[in-house]
Amino acid sequence: MTAVYVALGAPFVAAVVGLLGGRTWPRLVVPVAVAGASVAFLSALVLAGRSVAGDLYESARLADVPTGGPPIGIDLRVDGLAALVSVAVGAVALAVQVYSIGYLKGDPRYSSYAALVSLFTAAMLLVVFADDLMVLLVGWEVMGVCSYFLIGHHWEQEGSRASAVKALVVTRLGDVGFLFGIFLLATTVGSFSIGQVLGFDRWPEHTATIATLLLLCGVVGKSAQFPLHTWLPDAMAGPTPISALIHAATMVAAGIYLVARLFDVFLLAPATLAVMAVIACITMLGGALAALGQDDIKRVLAYSTVSQLAYMLAALSVGSAVAAEFHLLTHAAFKALLFLAAGSVIHAVGTNLMPDMGGLRRLMPVTFATMTVGLLALAGVPPFAGFFSKEAVLGAAEETAVHHEGPAYAWTGWLVLVVGLVTVAVTAAYVARLWLMTFFDRTRSPVAAHESSPVMRWPLVLLAVPTVLLGLVGLRDEWLPDWAAATVLTVGGADTLSAEQEGVAQETLHIAPLTSALSVALAVVGATAVWLAWRRAPASDPTAELRQRRALEHAFFVDDLYDRAFVQPVRLATRAVGWADDEVVGEAVRDTGRGTSRLSEWVSRAQGSTVQAYLTGLLAGVLLLVAGVVTFAS
Amino acid sequence: MPLLMPVVLAGLLFSIGAYGVLARRNAILVLMSVELMLNAVNINLVAFDVWLRDELLAGQVFTLFVITIAAAEVGLGLAIVLLVFRQRETSSLDQLTELHEPDPEADAATDAAPEPVQERAS
Amino acid sequence: MTDLLLPLLLALPAAGALGLLVAPPRRAERVAVRAGLAVTTATFLVAVWAVAADAATDVEWVPTLGLRFHLGVDGVSSPLLLMTCGLTALCMAYLLRVRPEAGRLRALVGLLLLLEVGMVGTFVALDLLLFFVFFEVVLVPMWFVIAQWGDDSVPGGRRRAANVFILYTLLGSVVMLVGILLVGLHAGTFDLVELADRQGADMSRGIQVLAFLALGLGFAVKTPMWPLHTWLPDAHTAAPTVGSVLLAGVLLKMGTYGFVRVALPIVPEGAEAVAPYLGALAVVGIVYGSLACLAQTDLKRLIAFSSVSHMGFVLLGISTLTPVGVNGALYANIAHGLITGLLFFLVGAIKDRHHTASIEILGGGLYERMPRLGGLLAFAAVASLGLPGLAGFWGEMLVLLGAFDPASGLNRPYYLVLMVLAGTGVVLTTTYFASVLRRVAQGTSFQAWRDAVLMRDASRFELLVWAPIVALVVVLGLWPGWLLDASDPVVQALLSAQRVIVN
Repeated sequence: MTAVYVALGAPFVAAVVGLLGGRTWPRLVVPVAVAGASVAFLSALVLAGRSVAGDLYESARLADVPTGGPPIGIDLRVDGLAALVSVAVGAVALAVQVYSIGYLKGDPRYSSYAALVSLFTAAMLLVVFADDLMVLLVGWEVMGVCSYFLIGHHWEQEGSRASAVKALVVTRLGDVGFLFGIFLLATTVGSFSIGQVLGFDRWPEHTATIATLLLLCGVVGKSAQFPLHTWLPDAMAGPTPISALIHAATMVAAGIYLVARLFDVFLLAPATLAVMAVIACITMLGGALAALGQDDIKRVLAYSTVSQLAYMLAALSVGSAVAAEFHLLTHAAFKALLFLAAGSVIHAVGTNLMPDMGGLRRLMPVTFATMTVGLLALAGVPPFAGFFSKEAVLGAAEETAVHHEGPAYAWTGWLVLVVGLVTVAVTAAYVARLWLMTFFDRTRSPVAAHESSPVMRWPLVLLAVPTVLLGLVGLRDEWLPDWAAATVLTVGGADTLSAEQEGVAQETLHIAPLTSALSVALAVVGATAVWLAWRRAPASDPTAELRQRRALEHAFFVDDLYDRAFVQPVRLATRAVGWADDEVVGEAVRDTGRGTSRLSEWVSRAQGSTVQAYLTGLLAGVLLLVAGVVTFAS
Repeated sequence: MPLLMPVVLAGLLFSIGAYGVLARRNAILVLMSVELMLNAVNINLVAFDVWLRDELLAGQVFTLFVITIAAAEVGLGLAIVLLVFRQRETSSLDQLTELHEPDPEADAATDAAPEPVQERAS
Repeated sequence: MTDLLLPLLLALPAAGALGLLVAPPRRAERVAVRAGLAVTTATFLVAVWAVAADAATDVEWVPTLGLRFHLGVDGVSSPLLLMTCGLTALCMAYLLRVRPEAGRLRALVGLLLLLEVGMVGTFVALDLLLFFVFFEVVLVPMWFVIAQWGDDSVPGGRRRAANVFILYTLLGSVVMLVGILLVGLHAGTFDLVELADRQGADMSRGIQVLAFLALGLGFAVKTPMWPLHTWLPDAHTAAPTVGSVLLAGVLLKMGTYGFVRVALPIVPEGAEAVAPYLGALAVVGIVYGSLACLAQTDLKRLIAFSSVSHMGFVLLGISTLTPVGVNGALYANIAHGLITGLLFFLVGAIKDRHHTASIEILGGGLYERMPRLGGLLAFAAVASLGLPGLAGFWGEMLVLLGAFDPASGLNRPYYLVLMVLAGTGVVLTTTYFASVLRRVAQGTSFQAWRDAVLMRDASRFELLVWAPIVALVVVLGLWPGWLLDASDPVVQALLSAQRVIVN
């Protein structure tokens, strides 16, 4: 467990030191930040090594927190899944810290930036290593806030400010549902401990379904799936390394990780799996189509991320956590690579917009080469990593659809398979578009572009390695499941899945030859279509002629819908409450004050007259009393 | 003579006196009306004393008390009215109002409720 | 020895105030703040000693009425006591360098010491009438603090705000007194410990409901509960920095503490009957407070409405009548006291430098002009919106968990609806704090502020004064067991009647 503590502690300490002392000792900032990330990465490698060498499972309880109800424990655990994901996190975090040295050179707020990236790393690792739902939630939300601060790094710009708030609020919305799901789990099981939740076998009817649906709210928010996907494209306003770290490799993967971690509970709820499949398919295809219509290179990658995350969610929805984990790892590698390469391009050309780029193939050879590798992986071209992981996903869908294997309904398998294949074609289309518009033909940019500095080049090359090689992990069907085993611990301590589950996960990778061939063919079709359109008018956008261009560019106007459905009513309610507080509630209070004054005026009128008026009253009173006595005394 | 006659007389005198006290403005007239009321009470006392044939003659003794006190009171009252007249040139009760409750103005100090602070958004 | 500790705790600030009164005026004016700091630090140390030694005092006071001078601390009151003494000491320290414009420090320090007597007394009193006395003692010094040292920019504004504050709270207290007398006369004793043990055994249900309503009304005005909240924004806008900090940090806690200490254990059947309405009003407060925040243009007023929203969470937790909910309510109480105290310190510092708290006039760019102050504001905002890892989260979370699974006598679907609405309140809270940071901290500064000469960032002195609060917020966020270990056993005992109903 020491490696776990070190992996968590190093970036956290780096963050604290950076936040408190960054301004006073600016020369310490870079060493502290890089050291924090390196230590985390090395510890993660140690853990991964142990996992590959043999079974890895350890857990520890740091403290008990009595609540009066289900108790919370500050628990940590590590197993194969956690180890592998932590390696991805550590690697990308280190790459980003190094890359940022060059990218943010001269930035006045670099110390707080680096510290927040370290804090973010610590929070993500907390999510990975948590063995208690509350501890996981702490890491989950701290990541969200770090993301808010980092997206808003260039807070002089209105776009950054707005995007940061949007990211925070949309994910928080999902997190409220997430919290309620945690409540349901904890009150049913009697504890917040993940180990106890996974080992629980007396689930009342529908509880697992409702709980997992609520947890799905958080997943949908954090992993930017429909309908809470709108924050991710706007989050591109943040610095590019942040987009690479947070919005490609780590934070958005946290949702997928959560489902994989709690997969045994999800397996009990085929209804939730069906909902997941539908959401994933909508997002998959929608994201890919939207990517086809974007002019900003980062927004293309953002929508691409949304679409690829949907692939992972789809894999989970047909019962294959292994395929999802595989795609998570490969996607972390190639997407981080793509974002950093895009950052390199943006840094050189000075603009995000692809219509203003072009011909960079000769001017930036290293970037061109590495980005090509990344794009091929994204499109799912063999033998790059993306091909194997995407095929794992599609293979799992085929198993469910054709062979009825796994916990999901057969129709979800068909849905995922068909939509997944169509999306492969669209993915290849937008990949080709990006590649052609950015690197080919003559330069449209007025700025003289040149290759970026070594500090920015080396992370690209390093990330290209796993992009190429990671796919080989999928060659043997059992390698990854063995290494990435998400160990389940029942209350008794046995290392098996509970026998009473409704569905059993697909334990190994399935790569079906027919589907693979079909997907490669579709990718070629998609890319060729775009190439042909580009050939006709090389200087312009291949999709400029499309009738639905505007809808694609605005991502089917979902944002505008939300604005009208949610933002405007809240603004209206705000004004109403502001008015009502003064005019209604406040006025009521003031009226009591005025009422009291008026009452006192009215009473004081009895004091305002002459002596004779007093005497009149006196006489009248005496007469009444006498009459009363005479009537009632007899 | 039957009891009714002095009682009616007393009642009439009392009413006239009451009217005078309540409706006249001149202070001296008010004092005179008070005397009337007191004398009405005296007549009542004597009449009932005779009718009840009281051994102790309590009614008549009480009448003597009332006469004495009325005399003292009128002396004092007239002295006050004279002094007031010398000060104010008036003996009209309507104009002697120093102990009145003043007319309630818009009094910020007694208003317990605040106006809204100016910088609030609407 | 230990039974003299709590009376000493009360006597120290009173003696300090008296000393300042009788000392020669010019000398007193010079040493006032330092003397005040010494007294409050000593009080804090005595408080720590008293909590550690589990001090208690129980002496006959007025035998014919059955009143006892009964003082004590336990897991529920000790965190509040320590927070009170700590915040007061920090306020005194703050006054060392940051002088209010109206001067007259001797009077201000004396009044703050009297205020401390009242606040400390409320939290340690274990006799109903004694509790009431201390509850009322805080009103008059606070009136003076607001009316004499408050914000004078609107003519007559501070006087009006102080009037509303005192009259409104007094009205609630009068109703509360009726409740206290009702309870005392029916039960035959005014002793809180004994009444809590009895759990309302010898009072009929009707009397219990009536008593809870009367007591509840008094506490509700203080909390403040919607719709009895309108005194708070005006009081906060008008009050000086130290007044706002103590008002938000301590005085608001007295209301909810009263619910937990007095109303819930003594009249449990009354609590069960009224709890759903309390919960509904609490949730209205949460959502209404958040929406009102979005409409404000004055920073202090905005934080005042955020207090209404946060205290709505506390009330919701109390209305669930479960140990989880009440634990959450107490945790949220402490967290709110610390975080909002810090917020008011920060906004007070901003207001002192810019001579305004209006967001429109301040404009953006606080990060740029004053990075340390801006950073602390961001920290406080993030803590206030309930980020896990900082103190505010555990209270909110436990309250929501309590609403998820309320006491068995309560309608569960109803409470689930309340929980969902409170959840939307969480999202709205996030929205308004993010919006505040966006309008004030981020962005670019107005040229006028950039040119202004006296725009200093937070000085080392100010950072030193605020550091303990920041540290506590982080510690209570990462180590919730500390507080929960202390409060849980006491809460379980106070709510034992509810659990009898369960079984």
